[in-house]
Amino acid sequence: MNQIEIEHLNKNYGSLQALHDISLDIPVGAFVALVGPSGCGKSTLLRTIAGLETITSGTIRVAGEVVNDKAPRERDLAMVFQSYALYPHMTVEQNMSYSLRLRRRPKAEIDERVGEAARILGLEKLLKRRPKQLSGGQRQRVAMGRAIVRKPKVFLFDEPLSNLDAALRVQMRSEIRKLHKNLGATSVYVTHDQIEAMTMADLIVVLHDGRIEQIGRPLDLYRRPANRFVAGFIGSPAMNFVPAEVTADGRTIAIGTGTLLKIPRAQEPGRKVLAGLRPEHLRLDGSGERLTATVDIIEGTGSMTFIEARIGSDLLNVAYAGTYETEAGAPLTLGIASDDIYLFDPETGRAL
Amino acid sequence: MLQSGLVKYLRDGKGFEGTLIVAAVLYLLVFAAFPLIYTVVMSFQEVDMFTLGTLVRPFAGLTNYTDLFHRPEFAPIVWNTMIFVTLSIAFQLTIGFALALFFLQDFPGSTYVRGLFLAGWILPALVVGAVWRWIFAGDFGVLNYALQSLGLIDGQIYWLSDPAYALYSVIIANIWLGIPFNMILLSVGLAGIPGDVYEAAEMDGANVIQRFLTITLPMMGPTLGAVVALGVIFTLQQFDLVAALTQGGPANASNVAQYWSWQMSFQTYEISGGATVATMMIALVIVVAVIYVRSVQREQSF
Amino acid sequence: MKRYLLLAFALLFAAIYLFPVYWMYATALKTSGSIFKYPPELWPSEPLVQVSRVFAEHDIGRYLWNSLLVASGITAITMLLGTGAAYALANARGAKANVALFLVIVLQVLPPSLMVTPLFVAFNHVGLLDYPRTAVVLATAAKTLAFYIVLCRATFTQVPRELKDAALVDGNSHLGAFFLIILPLARNGILITSVLVFLQSFGEYVYSRSFIATRELQTATVNLATYLSANSADWVGLMNYAGIYVAPILIVFILLQRQIVTGLTSGALK
Ligand SMILES: Nc1ncnc2c1ncn2[C@@H]1O[C@H](COP(=O)(O)OP(=O)(O)O)[C@@H](O)[C@H]1O
Ligand SMILES: [Mg+2]
Repeated sequence: MNQIEIEHLNKNYGSLQALHDISLDIPVGAFVALVGPSGCGKSTLLRTIAGLETITSGTIRVAGEVVNDKAPRERDLAMVFQSYALYPHMTVEQNMSYSLRLRRRPKAEIDERVGEAARILGLEKLLKRRPKQLSGGQRQRVAMGRAIVRKPKVFLFDEPLSNLDAALRVQMRSEIRKLHKNLGATSVYVTHDQIEAMTMADLIVVLHDGRIEQIGRPLDLYRRPANRFVAGFIGSPAMNFVPAEVTADGRTIAIGTGTLLKIPRAQEPGRKVLAGLRPEHLRLDGSGERLTATVDIIEGTGSMTFIEARIGSDLLNVAYAGTYETEAGAPLTLGIASDDIYLFDPETGRAL
Repeated sequence: MLQSGLVKYLRDGKGFEGTLIVAAVLYLLVFAAFPLIYTVVMSFQEVDMFTLGTLVRPFAGLTNYTDLFHRPEFAPIVWNTMIFVTLSIAFQLTIGFALALFFLQDFPGSTYVRGLFLAGWILPALVVGAVWRWIFAGDFGVLNYALQSLGLIDGQIYWLSDPAYALYSVIIANIWLGIPFNMILLSVGLAGIPGDVYEAAEMDGANVIQRFLTITLPMMGPTLGAVVALGVIFTLQQFDLVAALTQGGPANASNVAQYWSWQMSFQTYEISGGATVATMMIALVIVVAVIYVRSVQREQSF
Repeated sequence: MKRYLLLAFALLFAAIYLFPVYWMYATALKTSGSIFKYPPELWPSEPLVQVSRVFAEHDIGRYLWNSLLVASGITAITMLLGTGAAYALANARGAKANVALFLVIVLQVLPPSLMVTPLFVAFNHVGLLDYPRTAVVLATAAKTLAFYIVLCRATFTQVPRELKDAALVDGNSHLGAFFLIILPLARNGILITSVLVFLQSFGEYVYSRSFIATRELQTATVNLATYLSANSADWVGLMNYAGIYVAPILIVFILLQRQIVTGLTSGALK
């Protein structure tokens, strides 16, 4: 069963079309990430679900019911904002209980639910404070608490971790996952950080320029990107793209310097393609399909070594798990498994 | 059904904020935009005590305008208005800028003392005019006394009744009124110039005067433009001071257009004349206001 | 050391600037004989408090009461219509909102002495001049409304947009979010701007002078102006009158000086 169903949704701001024909089903209990570069329409999509933006055309259903014309307060969704949007003139406790008070729940129930949320998030000692007197991490927790007390059908998150420092962000990632599991509600999570999406979500929706590029489970997106945009967006460091041409037998491609690489599936001979090679798939022992390159730049962190290598006029990023010592200008023999070579149409970007 | 739909639209839809804007805009249309248009209409009609009560009045074409231009007091009053605006703004701006620069320095209580100047802005202009009238008094006025003790003048100056001085008296009082506003706005502009720009200029070897000329002035450009535009607008609004000090006299020596317009309408009942002056002045004010709004928008985008 | 020298200069400048205010009160304390001494006494040698005499003689209470009524009416209409509009204009984007804002700014700058002619004729038509104080309130509010909207809008733009969104998701209607979340946060700015509107209206002259014919209904500005032209030699009485009139304004100003300065500086140029 689907918690949220979106059909042919379009959203215009004046002459600017922010969302193009979005169709998306979100199953009950799923953790769905909306990911894409800044300005691609993630927040807009989330806000149309929340009812904070009116839609230009299409339908949105929550729990089977069309909510197009419903106000946010009639949709039973909770939202965590990027800036947290805590009410500055209320204490933590008042912030968390606000929605329950608006719904005129009995005092005892409010106290119990706020108490429980505070316990889960470790906010018990902060209940009487104002948002101003809290650290960034604490504010983030209050924003979560405000959503939790509602026990809503759906949680909406708009980049909730982007204002935290790196260590806290990693910690909160797993906490939000855990919360999601324990509460069992559906979560829609907006982020521009593909790593956050990959580690947290059951299902990822990749958005680009207001369009859905691909929907899939995290590893499916990594393994079978539908197009060049998804291939380049998912995975870090990003995939290398090298122009190439399919040879006469249709089973190999030739890249810039004339090096031939065997490809997984036969293609139309003579066709121009874009070959996609993931940095972590390029091996330094030269096994598999071989490429001869020279080292341009080398950077090591100890556990990882990043090399920028040059083949003719093409640049390749190589990510090697381990230490490897060489110097700029030195020759380098790279290898890649034939199955790890992706091909894309240079014009449409579609995967071949 | 329809009713509950309307209630919902007002509470939850775009209707809420739209209604708030529409209510205020309607009020402004009725009590500000309508009179504005009505002035223009009346400037093309014959309006006097007899036609005041009727809606349909004889169309006068441009006669109101040509009559106005042929009045002997027309040229002097236009000239007075120009002097009034130019001198008021020149001095308000210079003194206000000097004070703003002075209060930019770091010393205890600078914000508080600077704030004291706003007392001049907040007092009713009519009362200010009454006080200045006493200061300007010819025989026993404190201004004449001060100037005499400083050795600047010998006899008494009859500030308000001498046609040579009357306009300048009004200007002096108007400058006094305008200084605080200029100073505060310019202070805001000055505070917006980042300190490291000055430090960089100092490293480059610019002295105080060079820093003022090459950094402060150019960076204050947009603010100065806005302040001058607002100054023109406020100076053209100044009515109360004229009423309190000279009533435009003696013999129109200190009369300015905005006072003249009112005099015609309310003292000599030449209502079309008053409306005609008002129309021309309003056109001027709107032009300045448009320049002002444009310049502020440009400043914000940068 | 230099900092205190600067302070001394600052105080000197302020003293020179505020001399007219001082002179008003100094004169008010002199006897009607001593003001005609030349050179003038900078400090009244035999101060005489004549406030209550002048107050009673000129029936100042009545005119101040009229001023108070008019100013309260103007402030009430301005706040009622202006607060919501300022809020909506702070949120709104797009061409229509820009037109509305532009209209507000342009209508703010129209000189009352030029608007008074058509207003008088129109009010005369609809019979509003029979209620002259109401006429003054309605006309002046159009002017203060624009000023108020411009300043309050600046206050509302400082309240983060997402707070409204959060309130809507939490279960407020637009109406509820405005009253329960946004208004409390913008309260200070609104109050200061309202005080400014009140003080401005308290000193309103053009409309009161033009619309109010009945002496009993005159505001203090008009009455003071009449007195000024009729008894131009009674400087003691005049300065007492002026001093009484502006005393409440000065008191409010001294109490709220800091807030007024910040309120003006945050919104004036925007
Ligand atoms: N209220 C608005 N009015 C006009 N354009 C908007 C508005 N909100 C967002 N946009 C535009 O819509 C596009 C998508 O914005 P958004 O959904 O916020 O992107 P993001 O993916 O970074 O969250 C952007 O081009 C943005 O400029
Ligand atoms: Mg966003």
